[in-house]
Amino acid sequence: MPEQPPPEMVTISLDGQEIEVPQGEYIIKAAEDQGTYIPRFCYHSRMKPVGLCRMCLVEVETPRGRILTTACNTPVAPEMIVDTESAVVQKAQEGILEFLLINHPLDCPVCDKGGECPLQDQTVAYGPGESRFVEEKRHFEKPIPLSDIVLMDRERCILCARCTRFSEEVSGDPLIEFVGRGNQTHVITFPDEPFASYFSGNTVQICPVGALTAKPYRFKARPWDLEAIESVSMVDASGASISIETSQNEVVRINGVDNDATNHGWLSDKDRFVFQAIHSENRLATPLIRDDAGDLQPASWGDALDRVADALGSVRGDEVASIGGANNTNEEAFALGKFLRTVVVTPHIDAQVGDALNPEFLAGVTPRAEIGDLDGAATILVWAGDLKEEFPTLFLRVRHAVTQMGAKLIVVHPRRTGLDNIAAEKITYRPGEGPEVVRKLTAQGDQDYGAVRDLLTAGPVIALVGLTGRAEDPRLAEAVAAYALGLPGSKVLPLARRANVFGALDMGLAPTLLPGRVPVKSESGRAELESHWGPLPGEAGLDTAGIIAGLAAGDLKALLLVGADPVRDGRNPDAVRAALDAAEFVVSLDMFLNDSNQQASVILPVDGFAETEGTVTNIEGRVQKVNRILPGPGQSRALWSILDELSSRMGGQLGAGDGPAIAKEIALVAPAYRSMTWDRLEWGPERDGVVMPDRDGVQELRFVPDDSGLRPTAGRLALHSGRVLYDGGTRNTQSPALAGLTPDPAVYLHPRDASALALADGQEVDVAGEFGTVRLRLELDPSLAEGSAYVPANLDSTWVLGVPDVVTVEAQSSKGKKNEKKKGKKKGAGE
Amino acid sequence: MSVATVISDWSAPNQERARTLLEAYPERRSAAMPLLYLASLEHGHLTPAAMAQVAELTGLTSAQVQSVASFYTMYKRDHVGRYLISVCTSISCFLMGADDVLEAIEEETGTPDGTTSSDGTFSVEHVECIGACGGAPAVQVNYELVEGVAPERGATLCRWLRESSPEVVVTDEMQKYFGGVRSFDWGITETVGAIAPVPAFGPYGSTGEESA
Amino acid sequence: MAGFIGELLGPFKGFATVMRQAFKPRLTRSYPHEMRVKPQRFHGRHVLNRYPDGMEKCIGCELCAGVCPASCIYVRGQDNPVDAPVSPGERFGFVYEINLLRCIFCGLCVEACPTEAITMTQLFEFSVTDRADAIYTKDELLVQADGTPNHGQPDGPLIDLAELKLADGWMRATSPAGRADFEGVPAWTPSAGVGLRPAERGQSDVTESEEEEA
Repeated sequence: MPEQPPPEMVTISLDGQEIEVPQGEYIIKAAEDQGTYIPRFCYHSRMKPVGLCRMCLVEVETPRGRILTTACNTPVAPEMIVDTESAVVQKAQEGILEFLLINHPLDCPVCDKGGECPLQDQTVAYGPGESRFVEEKRHFEKPIPLSDIVLMDRERCILCARCTRFSEEVSGDPLIEFVGRGNQTHVITFPDEPFASYFSGNTVQICPVGALTAKPYRFKARPWDLEAIESVSMVDASGASISIETSQNEVVRINGVDNDATNHGWLSDKDRFVFQAIHSENRLATPLIRDDAGDLQPASWGDALDRVADALGSVRGDEVASIGGANNTNEEAFALGKFLRTVVVTPHIDAQVGDALNPEFLAGVTPRAEIGDLDGAATILVWAGDLKEEFPTLFLRVRHAVTQMGAKLIVVHPRRTGLDNIAAEKITYRPGEGPEVVRKLTAQGDQDYGAVRDLLTAGPVIALVGLTGRAEDPRLAEAVAAYALGLPGSKVLPLARRANVFGALDMGLAPTLLPGRVPVKSESGRAELESHWGPLPGEAGLDTAGIIAGLAAGDLKALLLVGADPVRDGRNPDAVRAALDAAEFVVSLDMFLNDSNQQASVILPVDGFAETEGTVTNIEGRVQKVNRILPGPGQSRALWSILDELSSRMGGQLGAGDGPAIAKEIALVAPAYRSMTWDRLEWGPERDGVVMPDRDGVQELRFVPDDSGLRPTAGRLALHSGRVLYDGGTRNTQSPALAGLTPDPAVYLHPRDASALALADGQEVDVAGEFGTVRLRLELDPSLAEGSAYVPANLDSTWVLGVPDVVTVEAQSSKGKKNEKKKGKKKGAGE
Repeated sequence: MSVATVISDWSAPNQERARTLLEAYPERRSAAMPLLYLASLEHGHLTPAAMAQVAELTGLTSAQVQSVASFYTMYKRDHVGRYLISVCTSISCFLMGADDVLEAIEEETGTPDGTTSSDGTFSVEHVECIGACGGAPAVQVNYELVEGVAPERGATLCRWLRESSPEVVVTDEMQKYFGGVRSFDWGITETVGAIAPVPAFGPYGSTGEESA
Repeated sequence: MAGFIGELLGPFKGFATVMRQAFKPRLTRSYPHEMRVKPQRFHGRHVLNRYPDGMEKCIGCELCAGVCPASCIYVRGQDNPVDAPVSPGERFGFVYEINLLRCIFCGLCVEACPTEAITMTQLFEFSVTDRADAIYTKDELLVQADGTPNHGQPDGPLIDLAELKLADGWMRATSPAGRADFEGVPAWTPSAGVGLRPAERGQSDVTESEEEEA
């Protein structure tokens, strides 16, 4: 967090006790920090107060005598005298609760909120006991779906406006609002415009009654039979704190936990509902071995591990390569790296698939920003993928910084993004022409982008830098970072999407990095690690693209796939598939079958999210604890334990006996993680996570990005292959709540490009690139840079296209038109 | 998106008025309420499509526009007859027999309170105070006020409306033939009538012409 | 000397006791041929009741499971099918199991139930030969459509159906908050096969009603 001047303190009297509180703080917050809880429904610490529910009435002394006022929107003033427990206050609270319960149905036994309901709790604590109201309560049709996920029970609503304020203030998509007045007021969407927000689940969590419920949790359990554990969301790399709640060994819901450093308590619906994939019936539960006929057969762990050990032992160490590991914990990634470097002895390790940025840039760019720095920034430069689609909780933080903290936002992207409506400036550029934009921004006296450059003179500047699309040259991000670091007071937050990709890189799952952010080429760093591990391969290894090429050429013989699907994520799907076929031996350690490991020789089921304990590292380098609350399905095992057993079969010694042992070894051998212990993250003030390196941590790697002189490369229809939140990834498709939200695949063109090609909106077209052809519906998109085509990445059919630099779009031949599918158009919030 | 493309189905003068309204406010969303009246005038009542158009024009979401439109009772989201008869039932009018007036009007028009007649001529509603307590009971026709309306006069008023179906209803004219005691005689003549059951403000709801 | 005489008479004292007891009324019954009348609030096996229209009273709220000190109840709720509702309202008890090996018959589940769905009967004979049989599922617990509890035994002297008909237990005679206005008003909804019954007596007029009984 940036340094902020300490706030001015004032003294007030709270229930006869003198307390010091910061000037301008609301009474309700000041009292709560002091340990006095004032009941409330509409007040939420992360939103502006409205004073709607009147539950927080307190008595304040004024020159006109003692008055009742709402504590949630009355700021403290010097010498203020506040009484929260007087007879008048108690009578007011009883009165308010009696009023609220006039129309609130007493169906608590049926209601999902019953047992954890603020209205229920506060009625017991502050309520009158019995109601004088004997008339008929209001009735509505119940419950009505607001969207595919959220249901609304209007009878239970107490009109606190938390949900409507959240959607307007925090997520910025006010698709629900009050309708009607007086007794008939209720919250509803516009007809035929569902509450299709990426953040709709938050309204369910903050609803103080059971008016909003989410389908995945509806009637699944009661609060008193839930077992909860805090953890970190593994959907993206922003490190959102969550609590995983289970009943009868089944995860039934995930709630956001207020982490000041990362998510402020908010989650995207993907973070919230992706848990359904854990219990998918398609989870792998037994090891599978390919038999002579080429079919996968269930096998025992002993047989499967023997087969893997034999295969890996029968080739030279550097003929083995490994792809993946970015969805695992740091401990698992570390065990994998150590297994590969010391037991197999190979340098060909890469955790990033397809959309790789330079690992040294991701792990070592300095000065690196923290998410909290956004709140103190004067200007925020976002030159990355659409945050709303790729980093939804980070999107909310940027939104917060811009709308609440007054930062100015500049977005650079080839297409509209979720942040455009709050951006001060937007640069739309054709994919491939990024270097030209950087040059224009840098050049003195150039007339273009004058307003942008004016804004960027005001520091501190926080630059969020990543790839805008998969077809982008990864060196562009470094050029952008190099430019951004020249701006006043600037820091860079490098963005890579996969859950724990930063942790995996920090644990050495990169061809050029050793654990603890040590470059392979650093002699001293390698020598230190060798003092613990013995001799290591001295050369940098191959990255994913190199591994694929090596397998195809026969230089590499065996491949480990650790939760990776390079066929779908790769640049050229057919080439990756051919490389996998060419490999002598492929072992996959995964939770599901996917397009890549269908062809594997051995598939080992591993424990995943909520089933493993460990730490993860987010985009800032913040390490947080993830926890285990479930056993894995069937015979699945933790990755480190599989690797440990494999090592002993291969005659090596991994020493990965259990999670804490690995964590201790990380603290010992990884310089940047030197003082990291699980205890620190589990107890005390560091539960929000610790940014590495801290205390004894040393980071030798200081990566200084430079403009590598990249040339603009745009061809006629440059491909923009951006990610969408609900893509065709395994976790989405295996979560019933999310599977239906995947947008229909389409290709987007600028209207002028479409008319130049004589194509019309909605037409079926063939999109062809270097690596494949796909038939898609055409949609016109005036926000797209001219001369480019946007194809969402990794949807049901679009992944076949791969990631060519340029594509051609042609009308499909009229004969094929017969089998044109009529699909209902689904509107995602990002559309 | 330009104003013309959003409301291309509106009449040309109303499109022009919408443009004027949008320019009149520093923030586009401020024009939402006058635009809703304009949309009512254009479509007869606020259809979902009309609310969506206003949302598009003002940069609000349709849900927010719907919220505003449903809060104020004078925005009609259902069909309204050619003549909207609003009978005040607040305290002064109630004491002076507004219930009987309402009943007489319901009977004459065959339209129960809160509904529209099947031929689309009348809509009858009861409303809260319309600011004519001194001349209670008071009735509005298309928001044009008539004071001191006794039950039988109310019925006659409706009969007149049905039979002569005036293009413009004008307060002074109706007051003369169907009204009774007025609150005060300020000497102000209200001769600019209303052409539609949309509240008049400026020239948008009314004819802008003096009646004969 | 008295001691000596006393010792002599000793054996006869025993006879006297026998003689005295022989003419007292006998308390021992020839169970199972002869059954005792059990008190109305007897804590026997549970049943799940139905409304007179055949709807299940259980709404799957899990309060019984939450309150159970022996953790012997397992309930899962589910969305009520709209076209063929199982219980009134949105939710119904989809799974309902009681492990009677664990149950301590405390009756807290009955008290916790907001709809009087679970009540206790006079049934107490449920020895089993297999542990799994001691877990009573919803099929066994739920009363039949006419309100007759399933007892799983042949009709005969063991089963007093008239007694079981009253198995929906006791009714609250006062409001939960103890307001006198509600005294004598049954806070109870009728069950299938039982119909309306008068409320139990209240608490403030104990002497009066005791006199009536007497």
